[in-house]
Amino acid sequence: MHLLAPIRLLAQVTEEPTTEPSGIDLLLPASSELIAGLIAFAIIFVFVWKWVLPVVDKRLAARQEAITSQLTAAEATKLEAESLLADYKQQVARARDDANRIVEDARRTAETHRSETTARADTEAAEIVRKAREEAAGEKQRAAGAIRDEVATLSLAVAAKAVAGAVDAKAHKKLVEQYIAELGALHP
Amino acid sequence: MPTDDRIDGYAAAILEVAKAEGQLERVGDELFRIARAFESSTPLREALTDPRIPAERKKGVIDDLLGAKTSPLTVNLVDFVVSAGRASDLPAIADRVTARAASARRKAIAEVRTAVELDAATIERLTAALGKATGKDVEVKTVVDPTVIGGVVARVGDVVIDGTVSHRLQQLRETLNKR
Repeated sequence: MHLLAPIRLLAQVTEEPTTEPSGIDLLLPASSELIAGLIAFAIIFVFVWKWVLPVVDKRLAARQEAITSQLTAAEATKLEAESLLADYKQQVARARDDANRIVEDARRTAETHRSETTARADTEAAEIVRKAREEAAGEKQRAAGAIRDEVATLSLAVAAKAVAGAVDAKAHKKLVEQYIAELGALHP
Repeated sequence: MPTDDRIDGYAAAILEVAKAEGQLERVGDELFRIARAFESSTPLREALTDPRIPAERKKGVIDDLLGAKTSPLTVNLVDFVVSAGRASDLPAIADRVTARAASARRKAIAEVRTAVELDAATIERLTAALGKATGKDVEVKTVVDPTVIGGVVARVGDVVIDGTVSHRLQQLRETLNKR
């Protein structure tokens, strides 16, 4: 009430002797009201300018700073997430590469092992066959040699008996004479 | 004492005794024949070398075998060697005595093996032929060895000249084996 008192007073001072308004005056406020309104507006404006706006500005600034900080944090988090994602993708790719390499190595090792085993088995088989053939050939040769020896021994025994029976005194003398003659052909 | 030195010792002793008795050539001949008989007769070799047979019995064997046709000196010398337990060395000792005796006469021993006994004329011609073939003045010692079947094999030192039927049969056998 106290605050509106001057305005009301001012309105009373400026109030002209009332005449019946007409025309445009019906739409326009009275001068006293207008002045009082302006004063009230000025007071409110000053009040708002002086005390309300700084608070609002301060709050807005704090709010902006908070939002900026949150945005920065969100940006950092996003970057970190992207970095983590990239790392994860890289790790997954590396793991996949490793897995592929391990599988490939295993496949290659298995193939090499299989080839080596096959080659070794082939070589051993060939060696066994070669040895068996050699042994068979050797055995055959030994058997042939033994038979030959036996035949030669028997033949020799038969021949010795036959010759011994056939060598009489005359033959002995002839053999000795032949020996003496052969000695004559030798030289010291 | 090494075997070779021992054989040399026995040979030298026998040689000196035979020389002293003036029977070097005869003892040499007889020892040579006894050595060959010792080599070719397994029962004789076993009888004289078996340590379980007493010396007296060995002496009896020697007397029975040699007594009638061999000089008493040779029999005693053989008995001496056998009694000393050196019967197994008898052929080597006899060969050494024969070689030394021949060497003393500047001759080399030619051991001649034949299937039958050779007559004196043949031995003489053989001696001349071997001397010419070896370039040495040889003294032939004959050994009758039926295993040669026929022909002659002579050994003068390390040289062997083999013209026996058994040798030819052996060559034939080797030829057959090579095929």
